[in-house]
Amino acid sequence: MSAITPTRRLEPRNRLNPGALLSALQHVYIWVWLVIFILPFLTTVVRSLETPQGGYSIEAYRFAWNAFSPNLWISVKLTVATILINLVIAVPAAFAIIRHPVPGKRFVLSALNVSLYTPGAVMGLSLAITYAYLLKIQGTTGGLIAAYTVGTFPLMLVPVIVALRDLPEVYGEAARTLGASRLRTLLRIELPLLGPGISAGILLTFVIVFNEFLVTLFIAGKSDQPAALVIYGLLGRAGFAPSTAALAAIMQFTSFMVVLLFFKVFGSRYLKGTYLG
Amino acid sequence: MARVRLVDVTKHYGDTVAVDRVSADIEEGEFVTLLGPSGCGKTTTLRMVAGLVDPSDGQILFDDQVVNRVPTHRRQVGLAFQSHALFPHMSVAKNIAFGLTNTRVAKSVVNARVQEMLELIEMPDFADRMPGQLSGGQQQRVALARMLATDPRVLLFDEPLSALDRNLRDTLKYSILELQRRTGKTAIYVTHDQSEAFAISDRIFVMNQGRVEQAGTQLDIYLRPETAFVAKFVGDNNALPGVVTTVTAGDDGQQTVVVDSIGTQLRIEGTSGIGVGDHVVVFVRPENIEVVANDEAVMAAGIVEGLVDQIVFEGPTVRLTVVVNGHPLSVNISGVDRLTLLDTQSRTVRLALNQPAIVKQNGNSVE
Repeated sequence: MSAITPTRRLEPRNRLNPGALLSALQHVYIWVWLVIFILPFLTTVVRSLETPQGGYSIEAYRFAWNAFSPNLWISVKLTVATILINLVIAVPAAFAIIRHPVPGKRFVLSALNVSLYTPGAVMGLSLAITYAYLLKIQGTTGGLIAAYTVGTFPLMLVPVIVALRDLPEVYGEAARTLGASRLRTLLRIELPLLGPGISAGILLTFVIVFNEFLVTLFIAGKSDQPAALVIYGLLGRAGFAPSTAALAAIMQFTSFMVVLLFFKVFGSRYLKGTYLG
Repeated sequence: MARVRLVDVTKHYGDTVAVDRVSADIEEGEFVTLLGPSGCGKTTTLRMVAGLVDPSDGQILFDDQVVNRVPTHRRQVGLAFQSHALFPHMSVAKNIAFGLTNTRVAKSVVNARVQEMLELIEMPDFADRMPGQLSGGQQQRVALARMLATDPRVLLFDEPLSALDRNLRDTLKYSILELQRRTGKTAIYVTHDQSEAFAISDRIFVMNQGRVEQAGTQLDIYLRPETAFVAKFVGDNNALPGVVTTVTAGDDGQQTVVVDSIGTQLRIEGTSGIGVGDHVVVFVRPENIEVVANDEAVMAAGIVEGLVDQIVFEGPTVRLTVVVNGHPLSVNISGVDRLTLLDTQSRTVRLALNQPAIVKQNGNSVE
């Protein structure tokens, strides 16, 4: 018989393919960790929806929003103020460190990052003492912003330094030969090109300051409390009430949305070609 | 357009001298190339003209104005970079318009100028592209358009073609020359590539270790090197050490000298400042050495016999290594017909040495 007989190479369908098994295991592994990570958040959301009668409603959210939206608003304002101050400090500092010969550069950089390695309670206590006895700004909004800035400006500085180090000086030089002053070169060329670093700094500062609790506990006054501190207070007074859970869920959701927004806006502009783009 | 003058321009970095008393007088509309190996100070010199580096000493003048203290953005120079340096966050049109938007120019004027520049570089439909979407050659053309858009007084080029492949380099170097000729602007061009320098320059400044070794036209540099460095750096050269045996002064003040070198007498005309007993190096280019028949009568600076050590076919030319009295000479022959003169048995060959250049031996600059 001269007809070509195809060799039968296909496996029987019902036999378990080792590749598929491995793939399934990988998926299970990822999902297990994902559930472990988001379980606290899910539990909080479920708790926030419970009613004393045993049913579910969004009543707790309405209550939390009415009672605590001023505190959420305070958190937002403090965060924005800290971000702006961090920017004003970090951008010139990064230029000084990267573009100019600063003696003992490594040491300066390590010293500037000390606040990142300091335990929150130690930081809170030392700031409280300083602000209460020396600067007399303990319990004020200004004191709170100052404390956040001290604690988080390295989070702005480091990404900006990394971005600036990777930014070839040739762009600025090209701009200057084309007649742009140093200020215009900074605004039109260098800052936009530092966008990824600056936006990463903004994101990090936001996530930390918006949710900051420990330093806040030491520095904040009795009135005008940020939302994170209110949650702590509620825990003490009302326990794990649905309204407490609702406020926590709102904060979590806000942070999550900011991160998503970040990747939506900056991901398409700057992260193309990276695994995030 | 401006005449550019450098007067003893010097740049130190700590104890290191990057540029050492460089002087130059570049005419309006002239195309000058700074040629030299990496680290010779050519780029630093160019950056001082652009104002990106401050000279430690000396003066830089545009026409009669000293510009040492004029910041880069007020010097009205155009600088083309090796990396093109197009702003990656701006479209082609915005890149070209950038220089114009730094001055108070009406938007309609800017747009018209951008279109004019795009047509000049033959890329009229590329206005909305981003630099990342362009090839290397297109990026460099846009960079040239951006530089010309502001109508600068001086054009500066910092190895603008060295990141491109060979074919593109050959095309673009003539585009650059044509743009410069058409605009009539003074140009200073930095390169380590001699063929580039020879193709496009009115004058070449050969630099080494921060100093100008020789400034002159292509022919001056190629045929009449004044220093051993220039003779060796530009083109291939055979360096033949020797001692001057006789000097005859002509009516025009120029000398004819005879040098005892590689076991023969080399006669060199048109020299000056050479004395009997001077230790010199005679440079003879491989293409100026000819294979001649034993009975052939030739006019040459010197005739030598040697043993063929190596023959390399390079297509249009054949490269021989011939050992003359223990001294290896490189010889380039165009075409294969002269090869028939080689004695395949004894491998001996008779060579005529033409167009020698002579440089006095001073210190360690000559091996």
